[in-house]
Amino acid sequence: MKGGTPMMRRMQVVSITVLAVAASVHLILPGDPNAQDLLKAFEGPSLPHPFGFDHLGRDVFLRVAHAAPRSLGLAALCVVFAYVVGIALGMIAAYRGGFVEAALMRLVDLLLAFPGILLALLLAGFLGAGPGPILLGISLGLMPQFARLSRATAGQVLAEPHVEAAEMAGFRTTAILRRHVLLPVIRSTLPIGILSIGGAILSVSSLGFLGLGIRPPTPEWGAMISEMMPYISEAPVQLAAPCIAIFLSVLAFAHLFTTERSTAVAGRPS
Amino acid sequence: MIVGRLAQTALVALTLVTMCFVFVHTLPGDTALRIAEARGGSEFLNVGKAREIAAEEGLDRPILLQYGEWIERIATGDLGMSLVTRQPVASELWNRGQNTLILGIAGWLASYLVALPIGIYAALRPHGWVDKISSFYCVTMASLPSFLMGIGLISIFALSLRWLPPAGFRSWEHLILPAATLALGLSAFSIRLIRDTVREVNGAFFITFARTKGLTASAALRENGSRNAAIPIVAFAALQFAAVVDGFIMIETLFNFPGLGDLLVSSMLSRDVPMVMGAGLVAAVGYGLVNLAADLASLALDPRLSQRGQ
Repeated sequence: MKGGTPMMRRMQVVSITVLAVAASVHLILPGDPNAQDLLKAFEGPSLPHPFGFDHLGRDVFLRVAHAAPRSLGLAALCVVFAYVVGIALGMIAAYRGGFVEAALMRLVDLLLAFPGILLALLLAGFLGAGPGPILLGISLGLMPQFARLSRATAGQVLAEPHVEAAEMAGFRTTAILRRHVLLPVIRSTLPIGILSIGGAILSVSSLGFLGLGIRPPTPEWGAMISEMMPYISEAPVQLAAPCIAIFLSVLAFAHLFTTERSTAVAGRPS
Repeated sequence: MIVGRLAQTALVALTLVTMCFVFVHTLPGDTALRIAEARGGSEFLNVGKAREIAAEEGLDRPILLQYGEWIERIATGDLGMSLVTRQPVASELWNRGQNTLILGIAGWLASYLVALPIGIYAALRPHGWVDKISSFYCVTMASLPSFLMGIGLISIFALSLRWLPPAGFRSWEHLILPAATLALGLSAFSIRLIRDTVREVNGAFFITFARTKGLTASAALRENGSRNAAIPIVAFAALQFAAVVDGFIMIETLFNFPGLGDLLVSSMLSRDVPMVMGAGLVAAVGYGLVNLAADLASLALDPRLSQRGQ
């Protein structure tokens, strides 16, 4: 996070603020995001209800706020899961070499050969909408990049003399991997890990939009968008609110680690 | 390399087929009952009807036998019948696939028609206004999911201005908005890559040499640089077809465009497994073939690769 121009640093501060506010604002808001008042359906924005009410008379601002920790948290969880499994596989592959390495990397290649969101879509669709299948589907899609990258780094580190010395001194495998390999691997993969949270948010909300994500009426940005799509002319503000929420949070993650090339890997285009 | 790609695509296809088979047989509830419900609606549901369907679809035989037959049938190109419409899956895929192909090619070509001139111009005039605006555009668009862009375009061009139809596919006008959505999303990534690549090649020593030889800047880039710059761009252009797969699933659903993505999602929601499998297979195999084509194109452009590879 260090380095970069003052402009970039300012963007990072803004990003962190946006994300912190998004993740915590529901705590101070009174009211139930699923409470319906049909008389207020499609009521426009007002000061206590800045985004108005949806087709069932639910407060859209409240729903967007309550969806935030869920969408952000689920996306972050997907990345954490993919990251831990990915670097573990990558390190094991690099350390063992030979057949294990070949088998693991073929598996990773196989996952990579599924285009985009297809795997997540199939898993979420077949296993039923819910956080579990979404988590599994999205993290399987994210895992290969971490595995490949960490295998490359671990391979380089393992060839260095100090690791060889540790091996000859008789340290156990786990100790060597933990003490000498883990840190360089994390250093080389963490920025991409954080960047891909943005992509994961996109995937979570894409699944929600397709009707394969978190089940309604639980507020979720993607599902809110597809609910409001039929009313695009009657309720533009109510539709725009979750759209802007997705856009801002993805943008915020893209700017957490801005470097010259980083935006090129800011998650999969969706 | 070619054999590897083909084997990998075949493996992906096999995984997909197996996944579908496993899911059919592990889904909670009785498959036959669900099919009966999907066909006739819940009011006409009864056990007799479910048994009839079970016998008809072969759902009452041993699992391994069913798996063997499942693989065999698909390997011979028989994708079966839709559980909902009872039409052959293959013919539906053919119709929908053509629409998706038209949409994908239109969006993809449009994105490069826009991205190539902008990217090259931005590279030749670094820090000029085209460069600045385009890099702002790239960063912003990269964070904007395609369906949000689509919603924006619908509300401007279909609802406010009423220039274009918002949904469906009956004439070429219906193609414009979804293709534009796809193109805008893709160009956000390709403009940046094209700019970086052209800039890198333009700074290479052989360009400097060509300039000292007396060629003009544009001639030097055209004669000596274009092939070098084309290598990563072509490789990336193919990678972007993965994004097209994501894109067409979302965009077709949004625009109600009768293509493979829309088919995939709607049949997923109605649990029409043969249709899901068919659409998934076409997407995965298509993706594999595009990657293969990209490999071949890279080989043709860059003879160094074939020497290194073999």
